[in-house]
Amino acid sequence: MDKIAVQSGTPQGDVDELFDVKNAYYIGSYQQCINEAQKVKPSSPEKETERDMFLYRAYIAQRKYAVVLDDIKGSSPPELQAVRMFAEYLSSENKRDAIVADLDKKMVKSVDAANTTFLLMAASIYYHEMNTDAALRTLHQGESLECMAMSIQVLLSLDRVDLARKELKKMQEQDEDATLTQLATAWVNIAVGGEKLQDAYYIFQEMSDKYSSTLLLLNGQAACYMAQNKWEEAEGVLQEALDKDSSHPETLINLIVLTQHLGKAPEVTNRYLSQLKDAHRAHPFLKDYLAKENEFDRLSMQYAPTATA
Amino acid sequence: AAVSMGANVTPSLRLTSHRRTLSSVSGLSFHPKRPWVLASLHNGVIQLWDYRMCTLIDKFDEHDGPVRGIDFHKQQPLFVSGGDDYKIKVWNYKLRRCLFTLLGHLDYIRTTFFHHDYPWILSASDDQTIRIWNWQSRTCVCVLTGHNHYVMCAQFHPSEDLVVSASLDQTVRVWDISGLRKKNLSPGAVETEVRGISGVDLFGASDAVVKHVLEGHDRGVNWAAFHPSMPLIVSGADDRQVKIWRMNESKAWELDTCRGHYNNVSCAVFHPRQELILSNSEDKSIRVDHDRHDSGMIVFKLERERPAYAVHGNMLYYVKDRFLRQLDFNSSKDTAVMQLRSGSKFPVFSMSYNPAENAVLLCTRATNLENSTYDLYSIPKESDSQNPDAPEGKRSSGLTAVWVARNRFAVLDRMHSLLIKNLKNEIVKKVQVPSCEEIFYAGTGSLLLRDADGVTLFDVQQKRSLATVKIGKVKYVVWSADTSHVALLAKHAIMICNRKLESLCNIHENIRVKSGAWDESGVFIYTTSNHIKYALTSGDHGIIRTLDLPIYVTRVRGNSVYCLDRECRPRVLTIDPTEYRFKLALVNRKYDEVLHMVRNAKLVGQSIIAYLQKKGYPEVALHFVKDEKTRFSLALECGNIEVALEAAKALDERSCWERLGEAALLQGHHQVVEMCYQRTKNFDKLTFLYLITGNLAKLRKMMKIAEIRKDMSGHYQAALYLGDVSERVRILKNCGQKSLAYLTAATHGLDEEAEALKETFDPEKETVPEVDPNAQLLQPSPPINPLDTNWPLLTVSKGFFEGAIAAKGKAGQMAADQDMDAPGGEGWGDDAELQLDEDGFMEAQETFGEEGAVKEEGGGWDVEEDLDLPPELDIPAGGGGGAEDGFFVPPTKGMSPTQMWCNNSQLPVDHILAGSYETAMRLLHDQVGVVSFEPYKSLFMQTLSRGRTCYLGLPSLPCLRSHPQRNWKDCGAKQGLPAVGLRLSDLIARLQQCYQLTTAGRFEEAVERFRAILLSVPLLVVDNKQEIAEAQQLITICREYIVGLTMETERKKLPKDTLEEQKRLCEMAAYFTHCNLQPVHMVLVLRTALNLFFKLRNFKMAAGFARRLLELGPNPNVAQQTRKILAACEKTLTDAHQLNYDPHNPFDLCAASFVPLYRGRPVEKCPLSGACYCPTYKGQICRVTQVTEIGKDVIGLRVSPLQFR
Repeated sequence: MDKIAVQSGTPQGDVDELFDVKNAYYIGSYQQCINEAQKVKPSSPEKETERDMFLYRAYIAQRKYAVVLDDIKGSSPPELQAVRMFAEYLSSENKRDAIVADLDKKMVKSVDAANTTFLLMAASIYYHEMNTDAALRTLHQGESLECMAMSIQVLLSLDRVDLARKELKKMQEQDEDATLTQLATAWVNIAVGGEKLQDAYYIFQEMSDKYSSTLLLLNGQAACYMAQNKWEEAEGVLQEALDKDSSHPETLINLIVLTQHLGKAPEVTNRYLSQLKDAHRAHPFLKDYLAKENEFDRLSMQYAPTATA
Repeated sequence: AAVSMGANVTPSLRLTSHRRTLSSVSGLSFHPKRPWVLASLHNGVIQLWDYRMCTLIDKFDEHDGPVRGIDFHKQQPLFVSGGDDYKIKVWNYKLRRCLFTLLGHLDYIRTTFFHHDYPWILSASDDQTIRIWNWQSRTCVCVLTGHNHYVMCAQFHPSEDLVVSASLDQTVRVWDISGLRKKNLSPGAVETEVRGISGVDLFGASDAVVKHVLEGHDRGVNWAAFHPSMPLIVSGADDRQVKIWRMNESKAWELDTCRGHYNNVSCAVFHPRQELILSNSEDKSIRVDHDRHDSGMIVFKLERERPAYAVHGNMLYYVKDRFLRQLDFNSSKDTAVMQLRSGSKFPVFSMSYNPAENAVLLCTRATNLENSTYDLYSIPKESDSQNPDAPEGKRSSGLTAVWVARNRFAVLDRMHSLLIKNLKNEIVKKVQVPSCEEIFYAGTGSLLLRDADGVTLFDVQQKRSLATVKIGKVKYVVWSADTSHVALLAKHAIMICNRKLESLCNIHENIRVKSGAWDESGVFIYTTSNHIKYALTSGDHGIIRTLDLPIYVTRVRGNSVYCLDRECRPRVLTIDPTEYRFKLALVNRKYDEVLHMVRNAKLVGQSIIAYLQKKGYPEVALHFVKDEKTRFSLALECGNIEVALEAAKALDERSCWERLGEAALLQGHHQVVEMCYQRTKNFDKLTFLYLITGNLAKLRKMMKIAEIRKDMSGHYQAALYLGDVSERVRILKNCGQKSLAYLTAATHGLDEEAEALKETFDPEKETVPEVDPNAQLLQPSPPINPLDTNWPLLTVSKGFFEGAIAAKGKAGQMAADQDMDAPGGEGWGDDAELQLDEDGFMEAQETFGEEGAVKEEGGGWDVEEDLDLPPELDIPAGGGGGAEDGFFVPPTKGMSPTQMWCNNSQLPVDHILAGSYETAMRLLHDQVGVVSFEPYKSLFMQTLSRGRTCYLGLPSLPCLRSHPQRNWKDCGAKQGLPAVGLRLSDLIARLQQCYQLTTAGRFEEAVERFRAILLSVPLLVVDNKQEIAEAQQLITICREYIVGLTMETERKKLPKDTLEEQKRLCEMAAYFTHCNLQPVHMVLVLRTALNLFFKLRNFKMAAGFARRLLELGPNPNVAQQTRKILAACEKTLTDAHQLNYDPHNPFDLCAASFVPLYRGRPVEKCPLSGACYCPTYKGQICRVTQVTEIGKDVIGLRVSPLQFR
């Protein structure tokens, strides 16, 4: 599996036969990734496994967990087993603790660091668990671009832009023009803010020009616009995203932000919030939201008028 | 071999190769204005060519043997030729014939030239003489003798009375012909004299004398020419040298010698405008461009005439005279944005513009391709158009450089390998590419690579070819604005491809393709040397208009074509886009547009109909055809029987009916078939038709008709179809087929008839036929349901055109109606807004000056500010994530932007946005005395939810958060403040809604909304004092309304049975008139009060209300009524009852008990709304805000950082 690192990382390498598959996956064009994966004819068994890995991860990204759980058997290669584990984790809330415990045990033993997929999947689970320490520790063992990209994401969620930048530099040294490096650059640029926001915007823009615009890229653009207080421009981008998928949680969240900044009536905003509550109860945004509601109630108890009527 | 300089139009020599001229060219002459060249050939023919179009215009074949001298007249449609047949011929190319022939030379004529001014022709001949002829009198006016070998060339001086000649006697001579001019052109010139001499040189010596003899060439001199403006002569000779001579009045001397030719130099001329000499030699080389070509001619360009330009959005960037200029298409503002670094003698070849970085790549191509360079410039942001900056560019060698991303460009270097460079012009990587000669832009991360026979789309990131198309020698590439299509322009071909480089269409042009641009509807507009043309991606193409001169299209918008001409001037040409728009609309099946164009553009013509038919749109064509015949065939083509029938009726021709019949039969439209058969009197078919459709009645009628027509066979057939045996018997009998008649009757049991027939048989001559016992009646069974109607057809939705044409009348009305709907309904809102802006704020500002005292209390705040800011975990940079020794230490959490917000601000909303509810509540409590937060909950949650946006990182992972900041441009890492998203103007706008609710009498709803606005005010952030005041004022407006409306709601609930109760009602109505409301509402309030008081017979007070009401200028009805009441009141200006209301004594209204608190009485106020209360209410919740504590000691409203300074 270290091959991934080598292939996507070495500029002098041959043409990557899985480029389209991976690229589509990273920019969030999951159906296209699946289509490409079904089209491509891998030249070796390793490549085939690698292709399947992206194929199944694309299914996971589409929340079609059953496909993954059914397709990957006990006899499948260990890389795919890791993917299955992640699918299982995401598919059922109540199994999560068991899976995490199991994973913890595996991590204590020596891990095959060559199995990048395993590292990525393990880190993904830890990240979902908000166990950023474990996630970073896991990712630290891998050297592929994707490991670094995920580290950057985790670091950014910890508000450690300084460390994210360091990691990004490593990525750039490995392959500056890789899609993942470009995307990671955009993430870091958004976190840095200021002039870098425009650069981040260009990265998303260029990718959607070059490949196709996806929810991932559009929301990235919208985030850049909004960070630059360009609300009207963001509206166009988010509208496009909404047209693509009317119940995409991140799009809805961004619209909740946007409509308020555009000065729309509170009802408009509330509509998006209700949509979000309907379709994505478990989304971290809503979890935070509910927690905040409770916090509000608790805090407001501390205040009372000195006299009552 | 010959060479000439096109001194016309542009400083260039041009030609295109023609392989069609079989004989070699001996002489050339360019037309002074038009793109024409005359070529005199070795076989005696003179050809007139249009070199731009590469077409032969005319041929003049009268000379016998080679023609060497040839020259256009500068003004008149004439040219002169001189040949080896010793003849000089003058031709008129308009009349297309030779006007006359001048005879006199005794040997081959080498050159013939017109004088630029006088009616003279100068000829040089192998007879060693030079002659001057007057082409008006058609005589020889002078013979110049002196050369003692063939005279190879003789030319007039462009301005002076001089002639230069070159001869194989190795000399160049300059002749003074001023004597001739004086003699011939002075009044009373005696040409007869000359004629008398008949060309013999007796007096000639005085007319033309040798002025200088230039000796220096070692061999025969082939050519000599004057410089157009300087006293210089250039000559070329068989000694392989080109010499430059200078002369003055008294002498001439050799100035310089140019060596380089390896063979005899046959021609040398000065460039008309540049410091160039053009020479031509038998060594087949060109020095500064030349040619000798034995089987044709070539027009060379001495330099590129195409300006380098690039288009982005509304901007055109182009290079002109060492400046990079920028043209704004919208404003037509044309400015020089920077000066280019000098140093290259070659003009800029091509340009690539990068809008993200505002940088430009300018490629310069040298004669030797390997010496080509490019410059990378960053365009200065501000520039003085008169004297633009000359920024330092970065220059490197390379054939072509184009942008591949905002911070990367690709360079094709001289080894034809591809380099990717960054903005610092440093090589980032080298990319192996398939063999390629040229690269073109192809969107982000891609390039188009051109090799000998195709173009390849190459992904620079993946380093692989994505697609290839075959097309030879692409010169330019034009992408559509959305990069969905690309046009590849080659010399004589255009190929349009999609983004994946799949060829959509190929267009071949006979004339050179020059340039192109995509219009906004996706049509490619391009130019050839002499036309503007269009191409649809479907391959349709055609001419839009002709061009006098080549242009380079930069952009097309609507019917304007923006272009640069060869002088690099931006121009706008107008074109008629109707034709291609029409075709585009057809291709896209936008029939509404098609129809619109048909109606408005008067497109209809035979060619359009033919086009529609050819392209498979007969149904469209059908609707604009007027000619019935065409209409008929179109209708048949698209199977529209109804229309065809109409047309057929109009035409009423047999052939039409027949064709219609066939078509209708195919569709089972048997009613039309019937009509057709009737019209064409095709009884057989008609009969059969009735049979198969089971129409027995008509079938019987047909039988009758057949009988009348005496058509036995038809009659019988019909009878047979009908199974009418007796009729058959009758027919057979009538036509003498007795035995058949008998048999028929017998077989089918018509015994009587059979007997009768039997009797008629003559037993001797005739035998009665035997009846077959097995015979039975043959009768076609009629269809069970006789078919009256046509065959059922599948329902086809009516085509757009049928509908549109049918609805022609209605559409207009609908449109009008819609237009009518648009305005109206808003009149009210406009008024209200005006009122708010004009008086609302003005008054409020005055009233609330008193609140200034509160503001100053901010002093005590500073202490708390420090308390509020616990020293945050400011992690040192290296404090985590260190992995140097292989042991991974997880990093600690960093400081999030939201934490910084709390640190940087004391405004409650910033804390809410940061999610720090605890501090936010504390601030609201301290600043405006909020003690009950429940009503704030939704505001808090909403505010929080706009504080962070999301973007997706890796798939299937929780999204990342971004925090929009209002000072994002310059906040750095630590000074951030959140983007607020709640604007004062939005709140003010929301007031309108509240006003409308108030007007509509929905008081409770209105109060709720006013309160929401009021509660939002402390969550504002504003920038200046003006806005702080406006925020305060907004609170006041809300308070006044809330107090007033709550009181009114309360009043309406009260009983009014007793006098005391009625008095209380009146009091409250009176207090309401003292709330500060919008005039429109005040009118309503005053009217209520007026009515109540009038009823209560408190006329004096009522009169007061009436006067106040009239002051507000209510509408005429109200005013009139009010005046009446006022008049009534003034009759008895007394009050019947004592009320707790003194209109003249100013008072505040207690918002809880609704009693007046006259000035000077103790009052408690709400710290936020400023509502007043009786002191007894102190400590309770304010009735207006429902969140604040009455009489609480607070810091005051804080909505701007200004308030903390």
